[in-house]
Amino acid sequence: MGATLTYTEIELVQGLQARDEKIFSYLYDHYSPALYGVALKIVTDEASAGDVLQEVFIKIWRNIDRYDASKGRLFTWMLNIARNTAIDSLRSKAHKLDQKVQDVTSTSLMYEPQLAVHLPVDHLGLTKVIDGLPKDQRIIIDLAYFKGCTQEEIAKVLEIPLGTVKTRMRNAIIQLRILLKQL
Amino acid sequence: MDVQRYISSGILESYVFGLLPESEQGDVETAVMQYPQVKAAVQSLQLDKEKFVQLYACPPPAEIKDRLLDILRREGTQEGNALLPQELRVPDPVSNKRIRETPVKQLNGQKKPSTDRIWKYVAAAFIILLLGSVFMNFFLASRSTDYKSRYKSLIAAREKLEADKEAQSLTSAGAEQKEADMLKDPAFKQIKIEGAGEQLGHVVTVCWNPISHALFLMAQVMPVPPAGKTYQLWAIHNKKLLDAGVFEGGAQMTQKIQEMKPMEDAEGFAITLENKGGSNSPTMNQVIMAASISR
Repeated sequence: MGATLTYTEIELVQGLQARDEKIFSYLYDHYSPALYGVALKIVTDEASAGDVLQEVFIKIWRNIDRYDASKGRLFTWMLNIARNTAIDSLRSKAHKLDQKVQDVTSTSLMYEPQLAVHLPVDHLGLTKVIDGLPKDQRIIIDLAYFKGCTQEEIAKVLEIPLGTVKTRMRNAIIQLRILLKQL
Repeated sequence: MDVQRYISSGILESYVFGLLPESEQGDVETAVMQYPQVKAAVQSLQLDKEKFVQLYACPPPAEIKDRLLDILRREGTQEGNALLPQELRVPDPVSNKRIRETPVKQLNGQKKPSTDRIWKYVAAAFIILLLGSVFMNFFLASRSTDYKSRYKSLIAAREKLEADKEAQSLTSAGAEQKEADMLKDPAFKQIKIEGAGEQLGHVVTVCWNPISHALFLMAQVMPVPPAGKTYQLWAIHNKKLLDAGVFEGGAQMTQKIQEMKPMEDAEGFAITLENKGGSNSPTMNQVIMAASISR
């Protein structure tokens, strides 16, 4: 990867809009591990995650005109595409709430990186953050972000009133922020 | 709006981490545009999310990049698009619509809607006819095979019946024939052996032909022998008993002619009760009936 070559987000967006393959290549090299990591975390098998990643980059390439910088950074936009594509893929495989719940209730397995097929790049950091989160907070972040559960589903799984799901989410993210700052 | 309260309600965290339904997402986006504080909070949350997600980063398989670049190079060409899986051909609906639908619409124009419609009906009618015919074929075929198999089994049953009948008539004819021969042939001697004492009332008739040496027996009135026992016929010749074979008793045997061992010479016949299977030499204390041939 060209370490000397860096682009600002604006340059990246303009390059993609201009159909510049070099820019695309740079974008792929810099962002594919993060997007692949999300896909892998969501769909949990490497073949599907690879398909998702491919689809994500084609969507980025084709829909770059729809990127709205006022709504967030390019990376946030790409992450949204990756997450939504992966969750769509997961749903098309007819994963039901039961399945998600089952995955989550075996939480110890889910969050232990050493049991994952691929070691994440930031192994230590992930362990620290995950270990630092109370179980309920891990579950709510996981269900919401990686499983795409609705508030109703989360209320059911955690056995809490629907009205408190958002505040629980806020508490979880506040804790997450503290842990991320310690890295 | 109480911005602080809004920020601390958890709705922004839920928005950034994908928990909000689409209907509520729009509300947050409006608030982001209206209130700089909300916008800052959302941006900061997005950074948190990016950092968090980066922890899961993992290098993808190398071949994906090559495949992607190949797809991009051929993009726009028909074959390039055709290479993609179905879900990837649609992500840009605007350009797709332009490429695909417009020419179709022009062809379909207003020129020949009536003929089109007629052809549609004709095609539909043919399809229905075809389906009906396929169904009838299937139905009739299954019925005809049913008839075939039933016909075959009937033929088989009849052949078996005929074979049975033939075999039966052959055997019975054979027996009748023997009986007739026996009665007709003047050389045959009939020796009636009648029981006395314990065997009183028991009758066995032996038919012997001194010329052909054929020997038959009819156990006309003989009980079924005790379990493990059997009757054995002996020819008396020169004061010795010669084995003439075993025979059965019982009601079923009264009319049956039982063929015994051929006998060259005999002055009389005796019957013993032997162990099942017969004996080589007679058990003398078991001689139950005897008769001599009247010359």
